Amino acid sequence: MAYVSAAYLLAALLFLAYVLSLRSRQRMISDMIEALRQREGRA
Amino acid sequence: MRALIILSVALMLFGLCWALLAAPTELFQGVPQRIMYVHVPSVIAAYTALLVVFVASVVYLWRRDSNWDRVAQASAELGVLFISMTLASGAIWGKPVWGTWWTWDARLTTTLILWFIYVAYLIVRAWAPGPRGARAAAVIGIVGVLDIPLIHWSALLLRTLHPQPTVFRAAGPALPGSMLVPLVIGIGAFLAVYAVLMVLRTRQERTLQILAESLEGS
Repeated sequence: MAYVSAAYLLAALLFLAYVLSLRSRQRMISDMIEALRQREGRA
Repeated sequence: MRALIILSVALMLFGLCWALLAAPTELFQGVPQRIMYVHVPSVIAAYTALLVVFVASVVYLWRRDSNWDRVAQASAELGVLFISMTLASGAIWGKPVWGTWWTWDARLTTTLILWFIYVAYLIVRAWAPGPRGARAAAVIGIVGVLDIPLIHWSALLLRTLHPQPTVFRAAGPALPGSMLVPLVIGIGAFLAVYAVLMVLRTRQERTLQILAESLEGS
């Protein structure tokens, strides 16, 4: 059962890593939008 | 989109419970055979992702429409994710059944080559942004997919430790219904997750391109 648990856990971790990378990229996009808004506000 | 997310999570949980709790234990391999319910769906999802890369790359080179390039890029990332899952689950399955984590067997080696090809695709994307990088990556995306039939045929034509195909074979699936049904649910779950992640990742790339254009213009 240890091998099965390891395989399922590893698959879950890989999914989680990808979802976290999506979230981090989404944060970067939000920061870019905010920077653009501030730049437009100053202009 | 919300419905697709709910469907993918529900299918994943349902498939997981069925595979671990309700599916029968295989007579020869025992419990480790349950790794099949992750291994096979992940390889099907990987092939689907890489076929999407192939189609999107061909259309991109033909029409030079960046929307197709974004689709190819998002799908290649997911392809690498799913091949990584396939290789990892295969190694964990191999240890109790074959007595080794890895062997330079035809099927395993051609799958590892597939992983390297699409990692190279992502490296090209990261190091060569813009149309030149997109064109080079599209060529890798088209050529790389030729490895998929090699992987499939390697288990049939060459001497290999890897079992012969039990689902996708000319004579029909060799699995009993009690194993085939949870496997099909697992495949559906992985494909639904692939679809969700594809939509999210493609949207992100589209937004990034609009933002980059706005920043250049301002």
